[in-house]
Parts: sequence; structure tokens; C-alpha cells
Amino acid sequence: MPPRKQQQQQRRTDPKLKKCPFCGKGVPYIDYKDYPSMKPFTDYFGNIMKRYYTGVCLRHQKMLRTAVERARFMGMMAYRK
Amino acid sequence: MPDIADIETSASAKATADEAGESRLYEICILFPLSLSQKDEQVLLKEVETILEEAGGRQVARDAWGQRGLAYPIKGQTEGKYVVYHYDIDPAKLREADEALRIVPNLLRHLAMKPPKGYRIVKFSEQYEEWLKNREKEEERREREREEELNRRVVERAKRRVKRVEEEKEKEKESAVTTAAKTDKAELSEKLEKLISDDLDI
Repeated sequence: MPPRKQQQQQRRTDPKLKKCPFCGKGVPYIDYKDYPSMKPFTDYFGNIMKRYYTGVCLRHQKMLRTAVERARFMGMMAYRK
Repeated sequence: MPDIADIETSASAKATADEAGESRLYEICILFPLSLSQKDEQVLLKEVETILEEAGGRQVARDAWGQRGLAYPIKGQTEGKYVVYHYDIDPAKLREADEALRIVPNLLRHLAMKPPKGYRIVKFSEQYEEWLKNREKEEERREREREEELNRRVVERAKRRVKRVEEEKEKEKESAVTTAAKTDKAELSEKLEKLISDDLDI
């Protein structure tokens, strides 16, 4: 078992400290036609990034999910790169 | 084609009217291949519009996006054209229209959705221009931040250098003092020794 000090160093920042980028701007809804607003929340492979890493609140993450899925269906976004 | 401002007001008015029942505002986006001839394209659009109008729809807005590359090939097509319609339709009839749209030839994809609350109908070209402006602003902001950071670093480095120089000077002074003290001690001890030796001689 590694010493206690090392464990503390490896711990990542508290996700509660992150602020939702959509709430900051007061976004009421996420449009599936608006590619630049969804792009930063997908990774290189086209997957939607976890809330843990982006700090998006649950309400906006759900909106983001539907928007990205609609955009994927319409061929505006890739399912898999 | 009504003005955009008119559309916005009418859309919001409709949104309130919808809650009473009857018809409500829907957004229908269609995708068709780029390789279609102009005549076929006209026929396709006409067909889509007639389907929606037969279902009792009333066109609120129409936005043709034009040629667009697809994120992945659909039925062998890598490029397509989008058209976004806004229609006032009865929800039950929209389902029938949706089914009818499925069997329209040459239509790659179609998506009907209920716009969220407070939705503003904005033309894609206008949205794009706005985005371009905002992006420029964002880039300017980033550039300014970078410059500020650079300036801060330069100032800090200069401060550090000044501090170091001062410290070195102080050290030199101290060492000079200590060496002077040492020499004094050495001289004293020499004199003492001399005296002692003189005494011994006597």
C-alpha cells in the first residue's frame, strides 16, 4: 500500500468546485443545429464528455445529450471518429 | 416570407396559444443529397411541403442552409443540403406527416421536434455571422490575456534580478567586513605574540 502522502498528491480536483459553463452564460436550451456550442463537450472520438470532467450541471448535460444525439442523427456530428 | 422579427413575435404568440391545444409550433429539418438535380430538388421540396400542409400545417418560417458536408456518409452521400421549416401543426397530425415523410424518395433524413420554451427562430446565416463576431471577440480577449501574462512575467523576472543583485552586493559588503575583522585579529595576535616573545627575550 502506498504511503498516505502519495495518495493525497494523486487525488484530482473536487468536481464540485467546477462551475457549469452553460449556467454561467444563462443558456436556456441547447440547439442541435448550433455546432460550436456542442463541440467543446465532445472528445476527439466524438463521445460526449463526462460531467465529471467538464463540470456541466445535470440539467444542461441532459439538454446537451439530446442536442448531440439529434445532431448525430442529422449528420451534423460524427457518431465515431 | 415574413420578417425575422415578425417571426419571433408570432412564434412566441403561438407558443402561448399552443398550450390551449389545437396546433403548436414544430421544427422540421430535412436533409437531401447534393447530387440531386435542381428539378428533383424542387419536386422533393414541393412534396415535403404538401405533406406538411395536408396535415393542416401552416408555414411560419423556412430556412435553406444550402450545401453542407456530412459528418459521416449517409447512403453513400458525403455532402447534402439542409432545409429547416417551422410549421404550426396539430400534434396528432404531425405523427402522420412524420410517417409520410419516411417514404419520400431521395430524402436522406428528417427530424421533427418541438422547440424548447423561449425558442427564437434565427436564420442559420445570421447565427453564423453572430458566431463569427463573437469568435473574433474571444480571440482578441485571449490575445490580450496572453500579452498581460507575458508582461507580468517580464516584470517579475526584472524584480527578481534586482533583488538578486542587491543580495549579492550585501553579501559582498558583509564578506568585506568579516575579512577586515579577520585581518585586524590577525594583526593583533601577531603583535601580541611579538610582545610575548620580547618579554621572553628579556
